[in-house]
Amino acid sequence: MHKIKNVKNKIINFSSKDLFLSIDYSKKVNLDKLIDLNSNYNFLDKKSNDLLKIKIENEIIPDRFLKIEKVSEKTHNKLKFISLAFSQSFKKDFFKGRISIIQKKENVIDVIFQLAGKWKNNIPKKTSLIFPFLRNLNNHKNFLKPGHVFNGKKTLKKSAWNFHEYPPAILTDKSKNFAIGIEFYDQFPWQANYNLSIHEAISKEGFEKYETEVQLTKNLSDVIVMRLYTSSEGKNKVFNLWKENTRSRYDLRKYFKPKNTWIKKNYITHFTFAYGKESFNYEKIKFNIKKIIKEGKEFGGYDSLIFWHQYPRLGLDNSNQWNLYKYLPEEYKSIKKIVRECHTHGVKFFIPFKPWDVRSNESLDYHAKSLENFISKTNIDGFFLDTMSSLPESFLRIQKKFPSFEFASEGTPREQRQIEQLTSSWDQIGDIRRNYKVEVEANMFRFVFPEHPLNLVSRWSVGSDKDSIIKRAAFNGTGLVIWQDVFGCWLPFSKKQKQLIKKLKNILDKFHAIIFGSNSVPLIETLSNGLICNQFCNNSNQKIFAIYNFTNKNIKGPLFALEPKTKIKLQQIYGINTSLQIKKRKEILAVFGTVYANEVALIHVKY
Amino acid sequence: MTEVKNKKIYIKSSEFIYRVEHLTLEGTCSTDHGPKNVKIKNLYVDKYPVTNKEYLNFVKKTGYQPRDTQRFLAHKPKNNQSNYPVVCISQNDAMQYAKWVGGRLPTDEEWQYIASGPDYSDWPWGDKFDPSLCNHDHNSLKPVNSNKQGSSWCGCEDMSGNAWEWTSGVYDDGEHRFALLRGGSFYYAHDHWHVGGGARKTNFHWKLQILNEGMNRASTLGFRCVYDA
Repeated sequence: MHKIKNVKNKIINFSSKDLFLSIDYSKKVNLDKLIDLNSNYNFLDKKSNDLLKIKIENEIIPDRFLKIEKVSEKTHNKLKFISLAFSQSFKKDFFKGRISIIQKKENVIDVIFQLAGKWKNNIPKKTSLIFPFLRNLNNHKNFLKPGHVFNGKKTLKKSAWNFHEYPPAILTDKSKNFAIGIEFYDQFPWQANYNLSIHEAISKEGFEKYETEVQLTKNLSDVIVMRLYTSSEGKNKVFNLWKENTRSRYDLRKYFKPKNTWIKKNYITHFTFAYGKESFNYEKIKFNIKKIIKEGKEFGGYDSLIFWHQYPRLGLDNSNQWNLYKYLPEEYKSIKKIVRECHTHGVKFFIPFKPWDVRSNESLDYHAKSLENFISKTNIDGFFLDTMSSLPESFLRIQKKFPSFEFASEGTPREQRQIEQLTSSWDQIGDIRRNYKVEVEANMFRFVFPEHPLNLVSRWSVGSDKDSIIKRAAFNGTGLVIWQDVFGCWLPFSKKQKQLIKKLKNILDKFHAIIFGSNSVPLIETLSNGLICNQFCNNSNQKIFAIYNFTNKNIKGPLFALEPKTKIKLQQIYGINTSLQIKKRKEILAVFGTVYANEVALIHVKY
Repeated sequence: MTEVKNKKIYIKSSEFIYRVEHLTLEGTCSTDHGPKNVKIKNLYVDKYPVTNKEYLNFVKKTGYQPRDTQRFLAHKPKNNQSNYPVVCISQNDAMQYAKWVGGRLPTDEEWQYIASGPDYSDWPWGDKFDPSLCNHDHNSLKPVNSNKQGSSWCGCEDMSGNAWEWTSGVYDDGEHRFALLRGGSFYYAHDHWHVGGGARKTNFHWKLQILNEGMNRASTLGFRCVYDA
């Protein structure tokens, strides 16, 4: 039984349902214990776990200058906290601080660091903070940086995230049943003194040496708020706790408007580069949309086209992006005919917007009006926001007049408002200039916001990298951009690749509810090294496991655990046959099989 | 306003090391950029780009109307612009004119030789860029004889800036058709994603991807003729 407070021994404790924290402030402020109450496992096995050290210029303030001012604890209804106020005088500068632990929700605890400084002659000095306890946690053998996985001996980054919300770092106990998620929420990296970009630092190598500069204020202000998510159901549950907490700030109603549901099934979008034989018939001097749509059948059918003729032409003269439509055969009529042809075949039609072409005498309202006019004349379905990851406010009114009209951006939106308003985007990777290799890894954004459809693209990738794009799409359950004519470079998909995309599209459609389900979790625990696994599920009794062997050798053995149910139906729906079997392994029901080197398999499980 | 009288300048047959820079943000240009030895035949070249007056005279005399008239002479030249380079003409429109005057469009190699000469100068007037010698980054076209000081080694004027010039030939890389433009223009768009504008060096060509004639015409794009000697 842990006491909450022991002032005599200069120890203050905080206990939640499953986590116990103990701070010893007799000589310094030391986090003595961070204990899983289910197993009594202490995550902090080293003696020195100072919560904080302050470094002025090049000198760390010695512990002997520490003075504890006040120790508090309070519980009121469902809220409880403890706090420790301290001060330090050092070379005629004076510092105040407070460290608090507060809990409102059962599985969520905040550890808050606040600081203030009063400088000699009011001239501030360079101040850095060091968090030894965090460095120690980071060095714990079961510590996983955000989006990393264990691979037997070491951890590997197997994820990508391209938005401000960083998934938590995860600590697990020996059994891996108990997990703590550690988050440093930092919406605005340029915000002074708040979380100090620790979320980024902790995800990188070298965190054990991490120290960070702070601009001290005269009164106490928040410096670090470390949010701990705890669960005795392992890291998947921690991810979901973090996800729920993150999503709770968002207004996602726009994703569920009935007239916009088509965008969620926009799995395969074709980048229709106008200047090439793929789309233009030079003899007949017309766009051959029927041909494109027919060729799209090999990919399982295009769900949409993005018609592209402004770049790389804009800038030859002062014609703007709207003028260039007037120069097409029959001006707007040619687009109208193309759109009609597309609609006959159930294909949606996008045109792009080029923000970089907005002239000094053009406002975004002008472009919104031009778009409105264009929609009226041609009946297009969407606007693709070239180079953008945000939706200008001027364009929002378009959807009031044309409720089914959609916007898709080249970059995945990063900020809250944009994620709420911009309901579709590309998941674009790759760079022709940097020796880029397409990695099969989890896209964390996709799992936090499964309602936001993504189309994966790596425009310059060829050969095995094109294979990897398809694997990455299968692993993450995302659609694709079929972009074969990259501004005049012809980079087609092979027959085999087309077949795989067709297969994937059919799966995305058939299992849409599961793959885009709200309970999906990236990078779940696997039972053999060399594998990573995403789990897709909604609230039904079905799950789909996407498993990828990232090694160069076939992996035979247990793949992932199953729920201990009696009736389980197992079916591989994608990838080379893995000869699946259900067996017991150390009292755990598991799927066994062979995952081939560098291959992805999708496995459907019905309980 | 003095009327510009185009005159033919003789270019003596010569060997020439062709090496061209093709700079673009994305995509490629599948032509041989050299260095390679090319032989320039004896020929004559227009001192100036073809002017509005010259082209309108051709239209008037021949009744020329392209099959696809989209954007054809859409700049609608005013009377005081008769000495300006004709623009808003496609490569085909330019070839029709050239044929009428007994000439043709210069090849990409010929154009470069006429502009840079046996000394391989970077700009028609020499190796140092001097915006005062060409119509670079201005608001509009200027008469073709505005920069006598900027003439090339053989006396050709207006080869850099003012209006891009068509060269002959349509290239087909199997999937695309394109032509090569030379010289740059007065227009210099503001963003790096735009076609790089302004006056361009003698060893620079830009790949114009061919589409319908409306898209093949631009208000910065004209031509000059050469004549086999």
